[in-house]
Amino acid sequence: MANVRYHVSLRNLTHVFQDSRRALTALADVALEAVWGQFLTVIGPSGCGKSTLLRIIGGLLRPSEGEVLIDGAAPVESQRRRDIGFVFQDPALLPWRTVLSNVRLPLEIDHGARARTAPSPEELLELTGLADFHSYYPHELSGGMQQRVAIARALAFDPSLLLMDEPFGALDEITRSAMRYELLRIWSAGGGAPSGAEGQPTRRPHKTVVFVTHSIPEAIALSDRVVVLSPRPGAVRAAIDIELPRPRTQEMERTAPFLDYADQLRNLLKEAPA
Amino acid sequence: MNRTLRSLAAHVLPPALTLIGALLFWEFWVQWRDIAIIVVPPPSAVLERFLDDPDFFRRHGGWTLYEATLGLLLGSSFALALAVAMAHSRLTERALFPLAIIIKVTPIVAVAPVLVIMFGFGTTPKILVAALLSFFPMLVNAMTGFRDVNPGALEFMRSLRASPWQLFWKLRLPSALPYLFAALKITYPLALIGAVVAEWFTGDRGLGLVIFVANANLDTPTLFAAVGVLALTGVTLNVLLYLTERRLLFWHETIRTIR
Ligand SMILES: Nc1ncnc2c1ncn2[C@@H]1O[C@H](COP(=O)(O)OP(=O)(O)O)[C@@H](O)[C@H]1O
Ligand SMILES: [Mg+2]
Repeated sequence: MANVRYHVSLRNLTHVFQDSRRALTALADVALEAVWGQFLTVIGPSGCGKSTLLRIIGGLLRPSEGEVLIDGAAPVESQRRRDIGFVFQDPALLPWRTVLSNVRLPLEIDHGARARTAPSPEELLELTGLADFHSYYPHELSGGMQQRVAIARALAFDPSLLLMDEPFGALDEITRSAMRYELLRIWSAGGGAPSGAEGQPTRRPHKTVVFVTHSIPEAIALSDRVVVLSPRPGAVRAAIDIELPRPRTQEMERTAPFLDYADQLRNLLKEAPA
Repeated sequence: MNRTLRSLAAHVLPPALTLIGALLFWEFWVQWRDIAIIVVPPPSAVLERFLDDPDFFRRHGGWTLYEATLGLLLGSSFALALAVAMAHSRLTERALFPLAIIIKVTPIVAVAPVLVIMFGFGTTPKILVAALLSFFPMLVNAMTGFRDVNPGALEFMRSLRASPWQLFWKLRLPSALPYLFAALKITYPLALIGAVVAEWFTGDRGLGLVIFVANANLDTPTLFAAVGVLALTGVTLNVLLYLTERRLLFWHETIRTIR
């Protein structure tokens, strides 16, 4: 484990949704890689196949064609090892469970899977700023708070890969930009995959994150690397490394390099469909 | 405390006043037109009959309630088991749903005598009639409920590799609860009707028998008292269901919005 070069690697990935009447090509020949501990964002217009891509990486969907390797193996292997965490746009919490009980749900599904090093549900609530809300029900929380619960829940098994599908897409702009930096804080606090030789407790500093959005500032503020997809069928149009220093702050969003990246991305997204 | 009292008053007072008004009107109308008691008894005579021997009504009402409840449990269990099977496979649904429709459209008045011939004069046919009546609404609601699951939650459970068993207990069943309660509010009164109808045909006890005998003897006060007890039982059951539902489904938007 953790000795392959790329944590996530996709090659020649094509996906066609086929029903009895027609075929819809959602992804066309996509290739991308994420190294261990990288924050990788996929940006593209609505309907270009971002969610499809993420579901394929997470092993929820088998691609029509191409190769998907997570830690050098098929996604289901990582899924079995509980090494992938999901956050979707709809937090989809169970409304009859309290915050704490929602975060515990993954551990109820699989008692055995929690690594000894994994934080407890209580610690996860602490990490995500929800400690005072553990006995609240989802309907008593704002959208931003619900999404924090979804993030805490995704971290229950302490996965080394976190897949996030427009997690802040349904939030208002102010909450949304605050949540960016919250996510970065949580990401910096949580450890990544074990590295090095067997028995050596060194851990990579970060989890690998594949994050999907259609917000340009969000992509720049969060990422080490941004992959731009073309409109449907989604194909990689460009990949940009964001070389802003970390920790990132809200103030950086007004600096020249940040705005340059924004221009660059805007132009890439604007280009006429191929 | 004060607030609950006030909300209780707001919910109970209007229907209670309507009911008392209607009874008073009925009383005066019967007295004023001097209507014979064998045609329509005044409420006072009905009440008098009831208070004369409340134990009589309690005993027979108890039997009817017992049969209706067992029938409800039986019918609902079958409906739930079938709904689970149908929610998981379209093939089961196609194979079994027509059967359920046949059960639904067959008039219970026609089925009751047949069940008596098959199962004799004991409690069994009454329970079966109650079960038959409560079966279909529970089946349809449960099927809808088991399918009406938040797709995001379903996807998340899938990403956790939850087993079908876990999926059912942790997601599908709680999601379906609002539908199951809606069904119970329909099927419990239906089960009561079923038990009464079955008793009517072949009873040695129960409110159905009381109504049958009173009708044959032109004993209208007893007849109306039995009907009144039946109505009261139905109302009480609905109130109990409503209170349970509010406790259990505090998280559901239909409950949240009526506060
Ligand atoms: N299960 C499905 N069956 C058929 N078509 C689908 C399905 N899921 C997505 N699509 C189609 O695939 C395309 C890409 O969808 P999606 O990955 O959700 O895009 P995005 O997340 O970028 O908005 C869309 O045109 C969508 O309608
Ligand atoms: Mg999407």
